Amino acid sequence: MLAGCGGVQSALQPAGQEAETVLRLFLGMLAGACVIWVAVFGTAVYAMRVSPQPHREQTAKRFIFWGGIVFPVVTLAGLLTFGIALMPELRAHGGGLRVAVSGEQWWWRVTYEPSGGEAPVVSANELRLPVGERVELMLDSPDVIHSLWIPALGGKLDMIPGRTTRLVLEPTRTGTFRGVCAEFCGESHALMAFPVVVMDRAGFDAWIEARREPARADAADAAGERLFLQAGCGGCHSVRGTEARGVIGPDLTHVGSRLSLGAGILPNDRSSLIRFIRNVEAIKPGALMPSFAMLPDAEVAAIARYLEGLE
Amino acid sequence: MRLTLGRLLLLAAGGLVLAALVVWSGVFRIAASSGHWEITDWLLHTAMRRSVSTWSMGIEVPPLDDPALVHRGAGHFASSCAPCHGGPGTPPSAVAQRMTPHPPGLADRIDEWEPEELFWIVMHGVKFTGMPAWPAQGRDDEVWPMVAFLLELPRLDAERYRMLAFGEASGADADAIAGLGADTARQCVRCHGQDGAGRGNGAFPILTGQSEAYLLASLQAYATGARRSGFMRPMAELLSPAEMRAFARHFAEATPRAARRDDEPSTDPETLRRGEAIVTRGVPSEGIPPCASCHAADGERRYPVYPLLAGQHAGYIVDQLGAFRKGVRGGTPFAHIMATIAERLTDRQMRDAAVYLASLSPDDGLRR
Repeated sequence: MLAGCGGVQSALQPAGQEAETVLRLFLGMLAGACVIWVAVFGTAVYAMRVSPQPHREQTAKRFIFWGGIVFPVVTLAGLLTFGIALMPELRAHGGGLRVAVSGEQWWWRVTYEPSGGEAPVVSANELRLPVGERVELMLDSPDVIHSLWIPALGGKLDMIPGRTTRLVLEPTRTGTFRGVCAEFCGESHALMAFPVVVMDRAGFDAWIEARREPARADAADAAGERLFLQAGCGGCHSVRGTEARGVIGPDLTHVGSRLSLGAGILPNDRSSLIRFIRNVEAIKPGALMPSFAMLPDAEVAAIARYLEGLE
Repeated sequence: MRLTLGRLLLLAAGGLVLAALVVWSGVFRIAASSGHWEITDWLLHTAMRRSVSTWSMGIEVPPLDDPALVHRGAGHFASSCAPCHGGPGTPPSAVAQRMTPHPPGLADRIDEWEPEELFWIVMHGVKFTGMPAWPAQGRDDEVWPMVAFLLELPRLDAERYRMLAFGEASGADADAIAGLGADTARQCVRCHGQDGAGRGNGAFPILTGQSEAYLLASLQAYATGARRSGFMRPMAELLSPAEMRAFARHFAEATPRAARRDDEPSTDPETLRRGEAIVTRGVPSEGIPPCASCHAADGERRYPVYPLLAGQHAGYIVDQLGAFRKGVRGGTPFAHIMATIAERLTDRQMRDAAVYLASLSPDDGLRR
C-alpha cells in the first residue's frame, strides 16, 4: 500500500525546499497526533477499566485545566508560530528565472522570462526548472479559477482570473515530476496535468536556448506543414517560423519534444497526435478545439508526422 | 319525459355511436372535386385566421426594405410557390387549382395580413390545406425575404415579376453551364448569374472563384439537408452527381465579369478597422481565431473545402454566421468548426468582420 505514496506526484518524496518543509511539518504533526491519540485512549481505558471509582473533584478540575486548556493552547500556539515562521521563506522573491503560468480550460500556457533580459520563451503543458534555484511562478487565468499543484515541489496556489498570484519553488533534486490542477475548473478538470522536469543548470540553459529557436521542419514534412496551415490550425496555434501565429491554444513550436500530449494525459507519439486531432471532443470534453475527424486519414497522418517532427 | 342525467348520458353515447357509424360506413364524401360546404369553409378559414393571428404574436419584424430581399424571395417564389398560387402574368397550374381548399391567388390578399403573420404561414405552413412548412425550420433569414417579396407582390406587373424572378436568364444560352441541360442550367443562372456573381446586388452569394471542392460539398450538403436551406434544397436534390460536378466546375472556373459591386460596401472607417482586426488577428481573449487563418484568399493556402470570403456580400456572411450561431445551418463535414466560432461572435463582431471581408477584392490576397 505504501508504494502508492511514492512516485512522480507525491508530497511524501519531496524534491523541493517547500515540499521538504511541509513534509517535516506533516511528519511532526503526525507524530504528535499519535502521542495524543495514545494518551487520550490510555486515559479512557484507565478511567473505565483500571480505576473506575469516582475521582476527587480537586483532581478532576486540575486534570481539565492542564489537559483541556493549557496543553491545547501551548500546542496550537507552537504550531501557529512554526507555520507563520515558514511564511517569509515561502513568500520570498525568487532569484532569477521567472515563469508565467496561465491555467486555461484545460491546459497550461507557460512563458519563461529569463532574468538576463532575453526575450521570453513561450511553451505549453510542461514546466522545466533548474535545480537548486529559487524560481518564481507568476500564476493567473483567463477563464475560471484553477490551482497549480506540484506535490513533489511545494504547496498549491490558486490561479485567479484578473490577478496574478506568486509561487516560489526551489527544486532540490533533478528528475521528472507531475503537476495537476487542484481546483475543479470544468468538465475536463481531471484531464489537466503537466510533467515537471528539474534539470541541472547547464541542461536547462541548453534546453531553453533550443526552445528559443523557431521550428525546424524537415523537407519531408512540407506536406504536413502545408495541410496544417491550410486547415487553419494556425488560427489558434503558433508554430514559430511559420505563418501559424495563433495564441488561443497551446504553442506547438516544439511540440514534438514534449513529454506528453494534451496537458499530461497522453504519451507523445504519432498515434496520440492522430487521436487528438480526430477526436478532441472525446479525449478532452468541452475543449475549444473542434475535432477534425472529417479530414482524410492520410492528411491527419501527415499533420501528425509534421507535429511529431517539431522538436 | 323528464330530463335526467342518465338520459343525457345515454343521448351523448348514442350520438357518439352514430358519429362512429358515419365515419365507418364511408358515406361522407372525402372528394376534393365537390369542394367544401360553405359552413365548413367558413369554419376552417376562421380557425386558420385566428390561429395564425394568435401564434404570430410576438414575432419581431426585421427591416424588410432591402431590394435584395425581394430579389431573393422572387427567385424562390417562382419555382416553389407560383405553381400552386400563380404569380403576376403566370396562371397557377390547373392541377393545383383542383385542390380543396384551392390555393388562392395571393396578390390581392396580401394586404389582409400583417408581415409577422405572413412569416408564420410561410415558416409553418397550414394544416388541412396543401400549404407546406418551410423545408429548413429555423432559417428565419430565408423566410423573411419571402415576406419582403410577398409585401411587394400586389404592386408587381408581369414584366417586373419576370425580371425579378428570372432576370436575363429567361433567355439564357442553352449551354449556359457545360454538362447541364438548358432547363437545369437556367434554374441555376437565373439567381446566381452565368458567371456566379449573382444578380448585381447582395441577394445571392458570389460563387465565382470558390473552389470546386467547396461548391460540390455544399451542393451535396444542400441535397441531403445537412446544410439546411429552403431555397437550395429543392434545387440541389434534383441534381445528379454528374450535374453537381458540372455545376461546381463551372462556377469554380468562371471568370468574373467586370467588377459588379452594386451593393456599396460600407466605407465607415471605424467599422472597417474593427473588421480588419477580427479578420486578420481574431479576438484571442474571446477564443475567436482570425478569419484569415482558414479563409485565405489565395486558393493555394486554403483548404479546398473552405470557402473564399474576400469580396463576398456582407449580408450573406452575416446571415450565415447567424444561422451557424443558432445551430440551424449545418453544411459540409467541416461546418462544426465554423459553428463553434460563430457561437463566440457578437452581432457587431459578425457585422464588422463581414463588412471588412466584403470590402476586399478576392485578389487582394487576404493575409494570415
